[in-house]
Amino acid sequence: MFKKKGRSRLIPNYIILILLVCLALGPILVLFFNSLKSFTDLGTNPIGLPRVILIENYVNAWVQGEFATTLTNSLIYVVFTVAGVLVLGGMAAYSLARLDPPGDNFYLVYMLTLSTLPFWLYVIPLFIMWRNLGLLDTRAGLIIMYIAFNSPFAIFLLRSFLMSLSRDFEDAARVDGANEWQVMTRVVIPIMWPAFLTVGLVVGLGVWSEFQAALIFLQRDELMPVTTSYYNFTQRFGRDWSLTSAGAVMMIAPVLALFLALQRQFVTGLTQGGIKL
Amino acid sequence: MPWLFIAPITLLHLVVVVGPSVAGMYYSLTEWSGIGKAEFVGLDNFRELFFEDRNFLLALRHNLMWLAFFLTVPFAMALAVATLLAQVRIGSMAIRTAFFIPYVLPSVVVASIWRMLLDPRLGFGVALENWGIKGLAYPYLGDKNTALAAIAFVDNWHWWGFLMILFLTAMQSIPSDLYDAAKIDGANRWQEFLHVTLPGIRPTVFFMLMMTAIWSFLVFDYVWILTHGGPAGSSEMLATYLYKQAFQRFEAGYGAAIGITMSAIAGVMATIFVLLRRRGWDV
Amino acid sequence: MYTGLKRLVPLPLILGLLMAACAPVAGPQSGEDGAAGKVQITFWQGTSVTADCIIDVAVNSFNEQSDTIEVIAEKKANMMDAVRPALAAGAGPDIVPTHGPSFVAEFALADQLMPLDDLADQFGWEELFVPWALNLGRVQGTLYSLPQELETMVLFYNKTVFEEHGWEPPTTMDELEVLSAQIQEAGIIPFAGGAADAIDNNEFFFTEFVNKIAGPEKVYQALKGELSWTDPDFVTAIETLNRMFQAGHWMGSPENFLVTDFSIARAAFATGEAAMTMEGTWIYDSLVGEMFTEDSEHGNDWDWVPMPSLSGEAMFNIGTGSTQSINRNSEHPEAAAEFLTHYNSPEIQARLLVECQSATAPIHLDPSQLEGVEPRMARLLSDFAKASAEGNYGYTTWSFFPPKTNQVIYEEIEKVWVGDMTPEEYMAEVDAAFQEELAAGETLVIPDR
Repeated sequence: MFKKKGRSRLIPNYIILILLVCLALGPILVLFFNSLKSFTDLGTNPIGLPRVILIENYVNAWVQGEFATTLTNSLIYVVFTVAGVLVLGGMAAYSLARLDPPGDNFYLVYMLTLSTLPFWLYVIPLFIMWRNLGLLDTRAGLIIMYIAFNSPFAIFLLRSFLMSLSRDFEDAARVDGANEWQVMTRVVIPIMWPAFLTVGLVVGLGVWSEFQAALIFLQRDELMPVTTSYYNFTQRFGRDWSLTSAGAVMMIAPVLALFLALQRQFVTGLTQGGIKL
Repeated sequence: MPWLFIAPITLLHLVVVVGPSVAGMYYSLTEWSGIGKAEFVGLDNFRELFFEDRNFLLALRHNLMWLAFFLTVPFAMALAVATLLAQVRIGSMAIRTAFFIPYVLPSVVVASIWRMLLDPRLGFGVALENWGIKGLAYPYLGDKNTALAAIAFVDNWHWWGFLMILFLTAMQSIPSDLYDAAKIDGANRWQEFLHVTLPGIRPTVFFMLMMTAIWSFLVFDYVWILTHGGPAGSSEMLATYLYKQAFQRFEAGYGAAIGITMSAIAGVMATIFVLLRRRGWDV
Repeated sequence: MYTGLKRLVPLPLILGLLMAACAPVAGPQSGEDGAAGKVQITFWQGTSVTADCIIDVAVNSFNEQSDTIEVIAEKKANMMDAVRPALAAGAGPDIVPTHGPSFVAEFALADQLMPLDDLADQFGWEELFVPWALNLGRVQGTLYSLPQELETMVLFYNKTVFEEHGWEPPTTMDELEVLSAQIQEAGIIPFAGGAADAIDNNEFFFTEFVNKIAGPEKVYQALKGELSWTDPDFVTAIETLNRMFQAGHWMGSPENFLVTDFSIARAAFATGEAAMTMEGTWIYDSLVGEMFTEDSEHGNDWDWVPMPSLSGEAMFNIGTGSTQSINRNSEHPEAAAEFLTHYNSPEIQARLLVECQSATAPIHLDPSQLEGVEPRMARLLSDFAKASAEGNYGYTTWSFFPPKTNQVIYEEIEKVWVGDMTPEEYMAEVDAAFQEELAAGETLVIPDR
């Protein structure tokens, strides 16, 4: 298939691509190198390999940045948001795809239009309402918001996945005397797992990286997700880049591990409409 | 029964997004500190925004420059690289993964990396100086002429790879016999791109242009983390300006008016694309 | 796939997260009665070593002696930044800290703080504090805050670097400008400085140059509304500042200054990379605790002189570094007031200065209580006290200027530095903001000279 001539034709392609790969990965490598340097080493040698490897940076960052607390917080926000989106969004998607409710087209248009309302339009009244409801500066308050933000995307994706599946299994179950609830839990959910995984990954990644809502809706340090807490940490230790770099590496390590393990799902998931506003 | 399944999430969405959006429209017509009574002042806030507030107009201009940048640079990069990458087989998957990684990093980390690299005393410029390349150690984020461009560069660094993957995916669904036909007609690589590839991925490109147009008026993260809108307001955006008014200066009514303006612009952008589509553009 | 995922997410992990999510977290507001039946009030502090010391000296001593009140000290990474959104949310600590009276006025006018007049009578605050300082806490006649950290700004210089080059610390503005050029010629940065992380620090420069060049008498008249801020002397002050900025005396260039963080600037001063810094008494703790400690590697030493003035006469700009107020939404204002009385007592304040290197509140303090203060700092405090007792003092913006004017001062000055605005245009903006606040009766109480 590959003729010699064809390959050499591609040399310029490879040169450009490899240069761009360096641009994409180089800064991340620098971050990793700097996380292992002492501050004085970083001062004289900002980009290169560390001369002496200092693991203490990680220990110090872990303690001073309170990563034990904030990583747990972020995990809580991710798990509960994903669970909420999958359960509530999944129910709605199932209904829309299978139960043919009257007015479902109207509903889809409603969701499509209103899901494009920008955050900055409603943030101030939402802030006031959350304050009055006592939801401001609480975990539940943030999770409820995240579920609402992410649900339209989940409903669309899960609905279209369901539409692409044949109804034969469900009909067979109904013939066997199963009620709608049983059909959903016993038949539909198991075959839906790939779609759930995609939605979960996309929503989870979004929540893990989320910054602006958390910045506005949380005040207590002990509730901060890792993003806003890390932001405060960099403000406080602005000068000590070896320390903040170590913090950054700890923060992205789980994301990168998950991404590399589940790459294919990630890419399909994100390209199917995970363009966050 | 079907609606019972739909109700919970719909209710949540109504409470969190739709209700407050309507309230936001009302508050934009009031003078209000966020506490106590809101005093109805009609269109006063908008009059002040558009006719008196130079900082707002400056922010608006920055958002337009931002829009111009993001409608061109990332698209050009993504299209060019997707075309190059579509032709290679060996290592293709690894290269794709590498381009995608910056996109999955949280904005705080991306900003943190680039604050370091763009620093005049410890950044990439200093490293280049050590290797003999002078003149690039510069306070890019501290110069009013470069701050906005530097932030756009950083945001694009994490964004264009994602765009590229989208285009690449779209390109791969173009039937290969179209390319064969072009070859028979004696088309060179450029003509192939122009007459086969580009029409083939046009829906994706247009959709992303629309999303970019809407999204570019809402940008907040990178600006806030890198410069807070400074120096001297040279990177102030509508969103950072809104944040300052509403959450730092207790001008919630005024902030709401900025939010309405941002949404209106985003709405206009979306409408333009919808109209183009009605006119028969294959968007 | 299904079973695979089931194995991936073990039940104990989910249960653990669920419990963590539901677990109560210490409330931001004055709590219900504590375990020992005590009323709880919250008090914010930063996360520095000094903050730990303050908690130890002021809070723990209070909790030990009180049977009815327990003060909960919460350490906040970005305390002052966190205050605004917390108040906007109707939350925040019982004791609200701010950077100065100008900020208090902003919060008070937004109805976020509790009026303190009755509590002041009840707890004898009129007798405790120096009158002019207490009066700075009044907004439109009502007392809203207690002054903290009596402070001034001086010119700190790196003594080791000065001695190496045979430089003499300047006394007049002209000498300062000439010396700065010399220092720059020698390849050293004249001034360390930066406000990339906190734009309000730009107010330092307005404070120093306007008072030292136009003179405090003129600033007083302008603050009283008897003189316009567009007066040529004020414009000259900003022109001088800008000339020195454009010459690159701060960090090499205005652009460099604008990306420099506070911590980077201080490090540059300590290592001798920069020879001087215009800073205030508030850096006492980091000066002796971090920058010039005995085991610091750079081997440099520091000293100070009054910030030069036009005539060369020593004059100090006076200010209060931070304030304490009571949250409008506090459920136990009396308990908070009781703690504030303890906190500002001469005994505790003297201990804060000596043990924590934290500046004292402007209270009547006996000189004998200041033993153990670092000699250079002691000299600074006594010179400052003497000069201001003689009425020879100038005005810091954050203590004497109304809030919107102050905001214009520190935000718009950057436009002068980057060349978007001339000093005349800048002072015209300052004047416009000031006249508006003057007309609305939102200026602060200025003590007679």
